[in-house]
Amino acid sequence: MSQQTLVDLSRWQWAITAGFHITFPSVTVGTSVFLVLCYAAYMRTGREVYLRMFRFWRRIFAVGFGLGVVAGIVLTFEFGLNWGGFAHNVGPILGVIIGMEVVTAFFLEAGFLGLLIYGDGRISQRMMLFSAAMVSLGTLLSVTWILAANSWMQTPAGYTLVNGQFLPHNWVQIIFNPSFGWRILHMLMAVLISASWFVTGISAWYLVRRRHLDVGRRGLSIGLGAAAILLPLQLYLGDGLAFNYVGPYQLTKLEAFEGNWTSTNTGYNVLLWPDQSAAKNDWVITIPWVGSAIAKDWSGKTPTPGLLLTPAPLRPLVLPTFYGFRLMFFGALLMFAAAMIGVVLRLRGRLYTAGWYHKGLVALTPIGILAIIGGWVLAETGRQPWLVYGKLLTANAVSPLDAWQVLASLVLFIAVYLMLLGTYIWYVARVVRDGPEESPIPEPARAPRPPVPSTLAAPPVGGVR
Amino acid sequence: MTAADLWAIFIGLSFVAYIVLDGYDLGIGVFTLLERDDRRRRAMYELVARAWDGNESWLVLLAVAFWGGLPLAFGIALPALYIPLILMLWSLIFRGFSIELIAQYRGWQRGWGLAFGLGSLVATLCQGAAFGGLVAGVAVRRGAFAGDPFSFLHHGYAVLTALSVLVLYLFAAAAWVYYNSSGDLQAWAARTGRMVTVLLAAATVACWALLQPAGTTTLDPGSARVAVWLPGAVVLASGLFYAYRGFGRHPDAGPVWGALAVYAGGVLVALGLLYPHVVPPTITVHGAASPSGSLTFLLIGVGLSMPGIVAYNSYAYWAFRGKLPSTEEVTPIAPREVVSP
Repeated sequence: MSQQTLVDLSRWQWAITAGFHITFPSVTVGTSVFLVLCYAAYMRTGREVYLRMFRFWRRIFAVGFGLGVVAGIVLTFEFGLNWGGFAHNVGPILGVIIGMEVVTAFFLEAGFLGLLIYGDGRISQRMMLFSAAMVSLGTLLSVTWILAANSWMQTPAGYTLVNGQFLPHNWVQIIFNPSFGWRILHMLMAVLISASWFVTGISAWYLVRRRHLDVGRRGLSIGLGAAAILLPLQLYLGDGLAFNYVGPYQLTKLEAFEGNWTSTNTGYNVLLWPDQSAAKNDWVITIPWVGSAIAKDWSGKTPTPGLLLTPAPLRPLVLPTFYGFRLMFFGALLMFAAAMIGVVLRLRGRLYTAGWYHKGLVALTPIGILAIIGGWVLAETGRQPWLVYGKLLTANAVSPLDAWQVLASLVLFIAVYLMLLGTYIWYVARVVRDGPEESPIPEPARAPRPPVPSTLAAPPVGGVR
Repeated sequence: MTAADLWAIFIGLSFVAYIVLDGYDLGIGVFTLLERDDRRRRAMYELVARAWDGNESWLVLLAVAFWGGLPLAFGIALPALYIPLILMLWSLIFRGFSIELIAQYRGWQRGWGLAFGLGSLVATLCQGAAFGGLVAGVAVRRGAFAGDPFSFLHHGYAVLTALSVLVLYLFAAAAWVYYNSSGDLQAWAARTGRMVTVLLAAATVACWALLQPAGTTTLDPGSARVAVWLPGAVVLASGLFYAYRGFGRHPDAGPVWGALAVYAGGVLVALGLLYPHVVPPTITVHGAASPSGSLTFLLIGVGLSMPGIVAYNSYAYWAFRGKLPSTEEVTPIAPREVVSP
């Protein structure tokens, strides 16, 4: 098989393993914040419903977190396994940034995760709240370092290039590279929003089924409240991101995600099918005027730049970039609309009674996760063929492996990950169906020691009906 | 001392921390495959469930320290070890997922238990094979891996190291279970521990004797190196002896101390034989190192975080201190087996 095949297979493997990984932080980062809120509310008010929420969501959190961790280990190794040239060239910079992630974030999460999940009866309430807060802080730090690393690849800064290797020159410039500020805020909002819909959707299901109404109502109220506050901010940030980073630094990406070849279109492309080799669209559905309006020219005369401005070998694929953006952006508009309907219903006092709305929310459970995946497809395919933008071509960074080797591992990764994803969804569905514990639950007393109670010998809460 | 040496020390410490910590929990995972008794198996799951995530964080630290500190070596060694490392990653995934499901969900315990045990077994064997494939030498041309997908096997040397690492982790697991349990589980750990200690002694000798014939590495066991590997070998042997004696006696921590000595001695032997090679026979620590600017930044980060890491990980171990509940008293877990009065 050819070198191009090797590059393509290696890219597919990275895309699938990274896409699988990002699914779990999209749920767990925000859920960890939610767990802190639930437990703090429980300690402050002493109301048992918050403890039941905490324990219920903790069960969903724990397995997703574990999967996110192991799927993340895969990525660390793939830097060297599949991208040996990349590992060598950027190791002095990105290896160090990921190293900082490990020492500041991973160990923090791992150190307190055991206490958060298995600490009932062994640690005090304050220590439990502290553990939840530290796990949550760890996940947020982790997002921050990863975004610093990825943003450096999008807008490299603060380095000197010696024999093809990027050597650190100024760490402040490396970490606070031009795109980092916008992108980290955008991603933090995104993971909080995706978890909001996850919590909201599952809570709404209990309202639809008329079970565990106290847990369902509070989850719905908190999730929707967060979404209503965060979504307008996120739309503003996304707009700022496009104008302050994509436009000035990666115009080619903008050309691709708006799906234009010539720079004459003042409309906005909603759907299209590109013909990459002929450098045109086979067909396209365009709304006139809107493209210009997005560029802040209300007269409708400003065209969107097109890919013909970029030499053909340096053009990213339009299909994934365009539709990745559409998945993210249309998803965001849908979430915004749903959150605003929620505000109206809440003001009119009908938030807990509008059955049609609850059914819609159940359907929207994974929307935030899908939008995040769309956004990353846009960010990563839109900057091709570069790995370090403008400096290191993806094709020059691949490991000199036998393409059959990569094909075999790719096929098995797909099989393994599909199975795991299916099992995870099945698990969440079972936990949700089983529901939170019934009231009253015994307050976990601090056990005398020794002997300590077994964490696993006690049946997990909820149980199988 | 150069920046490269400091990096090497940092990578070495991450390596030791990883094999010491995850070694015992991978070994316990393999033991669960052999354990027929439901209660004893659950006690073992419990030892792993509360600690695996923290233990595996050291693997990530090892990988990124290797990457950030010795990027050239990282970009060569990993493609060379593609097959064992990819298999290891899949196994670790299954293992982590299974143990969380065992802990959080009551359904299909047997299946998840099997996945957990097999994941632990395959991950262990792959780590051993990768280690053997690395120390026996990697073909390098123009700064990139130049072998074929199976050259890591080295005419079967990697199989030997795979089995040896399996025995090593089983040894560490027996010591940890012995320390943390009482009653029949502890008695079982003592019996198994002694057997595994003998096997480990044999495996160590075999790995040492066959390294030169099997590998492309040219060892020079004489000269100044003897000052490092010979004391290491003495510490290793004493550790084995102390652990063998300690299984079945007080204090219960005896085998754990023995295991720590075995790890320390083994690392000294490897260091004495291989340093400064990191990817034998061509790539040395100094040839593969990052510039010192990378080092300073990460060492500051590590220096600031490490006291915290040690503190809260120690707290977590302290919070879960004490013996596991006696396995004779633990209620069987499967709901249908519970006979309510």
